[in-house]
Amino acid sequence: MLFKSRNFDEAKTVLRIEDLVVSLPPAAKVKPVLNGISLNIRQGETVCLVGESGSGKSVTSLAVMGLLPKNALMVTGGSITLSDTDLLAQSAGAMQDIRARRVAMIFQEPMTALNPVLRVGDQIEEVLESHTKLPADERRRRVIDIMEQVHLPDVERIYRSYPHQLSGGQRQRIMIAMALVLEPELLIADEPTTALDVTTQKQILSLIAELQEKHGTAVLFITHDMGVVAEIADTVYVMNHGDMVESAPIETLLSNPQEDYSRKLLAAVPSLTPRVPRPAPEGAPVLKVRRLNKIYGGGGLFVRRPDTHAAKEVSFDVARGRTLGIVGESGSGKSTVARCIMRLIEPTNGTIRLRDANIAHLSRKELKPHRKHLQVVFQDPFRSLNPRWTVGRSLIEGPVNYGQSPKQALKRAAELMEIVGLPRDSLDRYPHQFSGGQRQRIAIARAVAMQPDVLVADEAVSALDVSVQAQVLELLDDLQEKLGITIVFITHDLRVAAQICDDVLVMQRGEVVEHGPAGEVLGNPQHAYTRSLIEAAPGRSWDFANFRALGAA
Amino acid sequence: MSENNVPPAAATQSVLRLFSIPGLAKLGVGPLIAGVILLAIVVVTLLSPWLAPHDPLEMQPMLRLKGPMPDYPLGTDPYGRDLYSRVLIGGRVSLFIGIGAAIVSVLIGLVIGLIAGFFRMMDTVIMRVMDSLMAIPSILLAIALVALNGPSITSVIMAITIPEIPRVVRLVRSVVLSAREEPYVEAAIALGSSMPKILFRHLMPNTMAPLIVQGTYIVASAILTEAILSFLGAGVSTEIPTWGNIMAEGRQYFRIKPELILWPGLMLSLCILSINLLGDAARDMLDPRLKKRGE
Repeated sequence: MLFKSRNFDEAKTVLRIEDLVVSLPPAAKVKPVLNGISLNIRQGETVCLVGESGSGKSVTSLAVMGLLPKNALMVTGGSITLSDTDLLAQSAGAMQDIRARRVAMIFQEPMTALNPVLRVGDQIEEVLESHTKLPADERRRRVIDIMEQVHLPDVERIYRSYPHQLSGGQRQRIMIAMALVLEPELLIADEPTTALDVTTQKQILSLIAELQEKHGTAVLFITHDMGVVAEIADTVYVMNHGDMVESAPIETLLSNPQEDYSRKLLAAVPSLTPRVPRPAPEGAPVLKVRRLNKIYGGGGLFVRRPDTHAAKEVSFDVARGRTLGIVGESGSGKSTVARCIMRLIEPTNGTIRLRDANIAHLSRKELKPHRKHLQVVFQDPFRSLNPRWTVGRSLIEGPVNYGQSPKQALKRAAELMEIVGLPRDSLDRYPHQFSGGQRQRIAIARAVAMQPDVLVADEAVSALDVSVQAQVLELLDDLQEKLGITIVFITHDLRVAAQICDDVLVMQRGEVVEHGPAGEVLGNPQHAYTRSLIEAAPGRSWDFANFRALGAA
Repeated sequence: MSENNVPPAAATQSVLRLFSIPGLAKLGVGPLIAGVILLAIVVVTLLSPWLAPHDPLEMQPMLRLKGPMPDYPLGTDPYGRDLYSRVLIGGRVSLFIGIGAAIVSVLIGLVIGLIAGFFRMMDTVIMRVMDSLMAIPSILLAIALVALNGPSITSVIMAITIPEIPRVVRLVRSVVLSAREEPYVEAAIALGSSMPKILFRHLMPNTMAPLIVQGTYIVASAILTEAILSFLGAGVSTEIPTWGNIMAEGRQYFRIKPELILWPGLMLSLCILSINLLGDAARDMLDPRLKKRGE
C-alpha cells in the first residue's frame, strides 16, 4: 500500500495544541472531557484524529474553532496556537474573523450545514462579502473560480441552484469551496465523508488532497474510519476518552502500533477479505424471491410525474442458516427490497416465498401467522425501541402477540438477555439507559425472541463504532450458529459484508448487477459497478487487523 | 461552596425544588404563582354554593346598585342581587364550560386524528371535512345553535367544540404521521402487533404531551368565547350567572357602577392569564427543545 510519506521537518507549524484541558463546569466533579492533549499540524500536512464516539475528537476541533458550547464546556488549561496567534486569548469578535480567514471547517452533513433557502453561489459569495472588501464582480469571479477548483460541473447553473437540487457529493464540494475561498491556513474536516457513498467519498478525499497540495493548507481530519485514515493521513493521533493515546506517522502506526488501545482499534477494522466459505447448505431455500418489483407511483390525481422503479426484477434464494448480503450505495434499492421482504410495504409484483408460502400480496390479517418467521433489526438503535417502554415490555411484545403468557415470555426474555450479553436486570430498565451497542443487542434479542427463520438486518451495524460493530457481528454469527437463522444483511459497507456474508448481491439503481458467493463477488468481481465499489473502499490494500499490507503474508 | 451561603436566587430555586416535580424548579416563579392563583379560583368556585352569602338570583328591589356593605362585600347589581355571590357562582359555569369544551374537543379530536394519521385511505376525506369545519366561526355557530335549541350550556359547549376539533385533529395527525415512520413502530408491525395495539400503545402516548398543552389553550379560549357569547346574549340563559352575562348586564350601568364589569372581568383575566402561563410552562417542560431555545 502506498502511504503519503512526505517529510514535514522543514515545514512551519500551523497549529500547535499543548496540554489542552477542557472540562465540564466545576460543579460536576468528573474527569475532564479533554485530558491534557497535545497536537501539532504543519503546513501542507494532513493530520487524522481518530477515535470512537465520545473520545473527544469533535470537542478538540470545536476548541480550536472557539465554538465550545458556553457554560457547558470550558478550556481550563493548556494552549492553542495558530502560527503565532494565541487562539485562547482572542475576543469573540477576533475569533469570528479568524474562523473565516484562517481556520475553516467542513461538517459531516452538508445538507444541514448549508442554508436551504439561499442559492449556493450566494452562500459562498456571502463569505467574501462579510470578510473582504472586494467589489461585486471580483467576488463573483472568485466564487466561480473556487467552484471550478472543486470540480463542480456546469458552474453557472450550480451557482444558481439551491442545496436540495444538488447531490450529497456536490453539496460537500460547495462546503469545501466555501471553506477554502478565503485560503485559510488550516482546514478542519469533521467526518466530511461519513454521510457519503464510497465512490463519492473517494472523489471528495482526492479533491481535498488536491486542493491541499495547491494551497498548502494544513488539514485536521476527524474520522472514525481507519480505511480513510490509511488513504489520506500523513500523521495520525489516536484518542480515547479524552486522552491522546498515541501519535505517529501513518505507516508506523498501522504497521507497528505501540499502545493497546490503538491495536484494539485497528484489530476491530473488518477485513475486506471474504470469510472462509462454509459448506453448501442442504434442503430447500427458506426465502425465495422471484422477479420482485417495486414501483413508486408518480404524481396524484392531477399531477403526472414519472414513476420511480425502486426495485427491478430482483430474484434470489437464501438457504437455512446462511447469510445473504445485499450491497449497494444509497438509492440502489437495497432497503426497498428489505422492506418488501418484511412486508412493511407491498411489492408492486413478484413473489416472496417464505417457507413455501407466498407472502408478497397478503393482507394485514393474512400476514400475521407469517410475521413471526420473519424479523428485523434496524440501523438506528436509538429509534428502534419504544422510548416509553421498559426493555422487558418491548421484548415480550412479540411472543405475547402469538399467545405466550407474559410470565413465560419474560422468563424467556431474561434468558435472551444473557444470550446477547446483557445482565438479566436490564429488563426493568428503559432504552435510554443503554449505549448504542447495547440497544442494538436488545433489538436483536427482541427479534430472536420470536424464533424467526429469517432475520433481516437493515444496516444493523452502520451506526456503531468499529469495536462495537465487531461484537454485534460476532453475536449475529453466534446466534446463526446456535439457532440456524437465515440472515439477510443489508449494508453499504463492503468490509462488513465480507465479514459476515456467504453470498453477496450487488444492487445499483434498483437492479441486481451481480450475485454470487462472497468470495467470488468480492474477490473477482465481474461487473464494472462492483469493481468500482471495491476500488473505492478506502484502505483496501491494508490488512488492519494484522498490521501489514494485504498479500504480504 | 458551603451549604449556608447560598445566594437568594438559589434559595428560591431550592424552595421550588421542595415540590420535587422534575423541571418545575427550572421554570421559575411565574408558573408557580399562576398555579396558585388558578388553584384558588377553582377551589373558590367549586365551593361557591357554600361560600356565597346570598342566593345569586334573589332580587332585593330595595338594594339596587348599592356599594359595598358588610353583608354585600362587592355591592349589588341593578336588580339588587349580591354581586359577590354572582361572581363566585358565575365562575363555576365559566370553568365548567371551559374545561368541558376542552375535554370534549380533545377526546373527539384525538380519535379522529389517530384514524386520519394511521389509515392513509381515510386521511384525505377526514382532513377535507376538518378544513370545512374549521371555516365555521364559533360565534355565528353559537347564535345559530341557540336560535335552534334555545340558550343552554350544551349549545355553548357544542359551539365552542366544533371549530376547535379540527385544530386538535391536525395536531394529533401530524404527531402520528411522524411517529408511524419510527423504526420501533415498524418493529411492532414486524412483531405481529394488532392495529389497535400499535395505535393505542405505541402511537397515542406520543400525542399526550402536545395535547396537554393544546388542551390548556382550549380551556382558556373556551372560557373567553363563553364570555363573549354571554355578553352578546347568545350564550347561557341569563338565569344562570356566568362571568360573561354578569358583564353583559352591567354594561348599561358602567358609568354609574363600573365594578359590575370590573370584578367578573378581573376574575376572567386572572383565570385566563394563569391558564395560559401554565400552558406555556407545560410546553416548556414537555418539549425540551423549546426550553433550550428560550434560555
